Amino acid sequence: MRSQNKGQIRIIEAFLAVLVIFSSFTIFSNLTVTRSVEKSGDLASIGLQALMKLDSNGNLGKFIDSKNWTALRDALDIVLPPSVCFNLTAYDETMNQVNDYAISNGALNSQEVAFVEYVCASQGVVFHCYIIYLHLAVAK
Amino acid sequence: MRSKGKKFKVNNSGQLLIVAALAIAILISATTVYVYELGNETSTVENESISNFILALKQSTRNAMIGSLANTSNGGEKTVLATNLNRLSEVVRSLHNFGLSQLYFNVLNNSLYDSGVWLSWNVSDYGVSSAYTNCTLTIEDIGTNVAVDYAFNITTTVTLNGYYIRLADDEKQVNLTCRVYNEEKSALAKELDIFYERLGSWIAVNSSNNLNIIDYGNGTYTISFTVNTPSSSVQVSINAYDLRDIFVRANTTCDEV
Repeated sequence: MRSQNKGQIRIIEAFLAVLVIFSSFTIFSNLTVTRSVEKSGDLASIGLQALMKLDSNGNLGKFIDSKNWTALRDALDIVLPPSVCFNLTAYDETMNQVNDYAISNGALNSQEVAFVEYVCASQGVVFHCYIIYLHLAVAK
Repeated sequence: MRSKGKKFKVNNSGQLLIVAALAIAILISATTVYVYELGNETSTVENESISNFILALKQSTRNAMIGSLANTSNGGEKTVLATNLNRLSEVVRSLHNFGLSQLYFNVLNNSLYDSGVWLSWNVSDYGVSSAYTNCTLTIEDIGTNVAVDYAFNITTTVTLNGYYIRLADDEKQVNLTCRVYNEEKSALAKELDIFYERLGSWIAVNSSNNLNIIDYGNGTYTISFTVNTPSSSVQVSINAYDLRDIFVRANTTCDEV
């Protein structure tokens, strides 16, 4: 009877240990997922702030108005961290693509690609409104 | 023996219950912590994203107002401001970042502002070009209902004052101080064109008038030039463009010192 009970307790102990280990794995994996979500959010925030910085003095609109894509790419290269790859597409009010070639500093080879949608109103005497799609990823 | 065995069984049953309760407690705790952490992080990221989105749209509104004022001050219609903001509202409505976004605006109309624009260029010693709009931005989605009120006042002001020194009979050296402001903060001018009045007509000042402009780099400019005019006071006008291409005219009367 006593040895039978001993076996039951062992089984329960083993069951408990499995539960504890399983729980810790569950919590750990969930925290990892949360952190990666946060990382993607951070990247989008970095991208949005970079666009706002360029737009604060009207330069973003001027680059698009003048179709100076090289200057726009160089400016983004400066305001974004060096490890971030980007791909920008500009559309007019009727969603026709404005840039005739890719404004990018490399391929987005990452599982996590952040996306930013930005409205750019030009400061020019002739008003133009653009919708900018910016994709960002951390370079590997 | 039998009674002892029964007693032991009862004891073990209690232990099992405690162990099961402990296991369930651990499971519930783990689930609670997970749900709490996930909910907390997601809402923080989303709130930050909405804040950034609102900031970006505010900046777009400001840019649209600057462009509209530049247009109007350079000879465009005053209704350009409302037209451009309408176009911006339509673009904002087409965005679906956080549900349905709407930008409502109300251009200021009062004793100074007409259709949100105030151009005051005929007052002595200063000139003003200004635009003012009240805006409301709403974002509606499941679980999100944000309404933000804000107003933008885009103003370029130029102040002008000066005097002249008589050099010969009708020859005078005019000395001016010109200051440029954007939203009441010192700002640089992109271009300054100076004129003086001679016998009822405005004459552009150029290098033949020994024109000398000193730019102090802080929005202050000292200007000197010579004119040949018989009048006892010299009427001077300055046409200024700030770095945003907003045009302002200011006039002043220079007397002899």
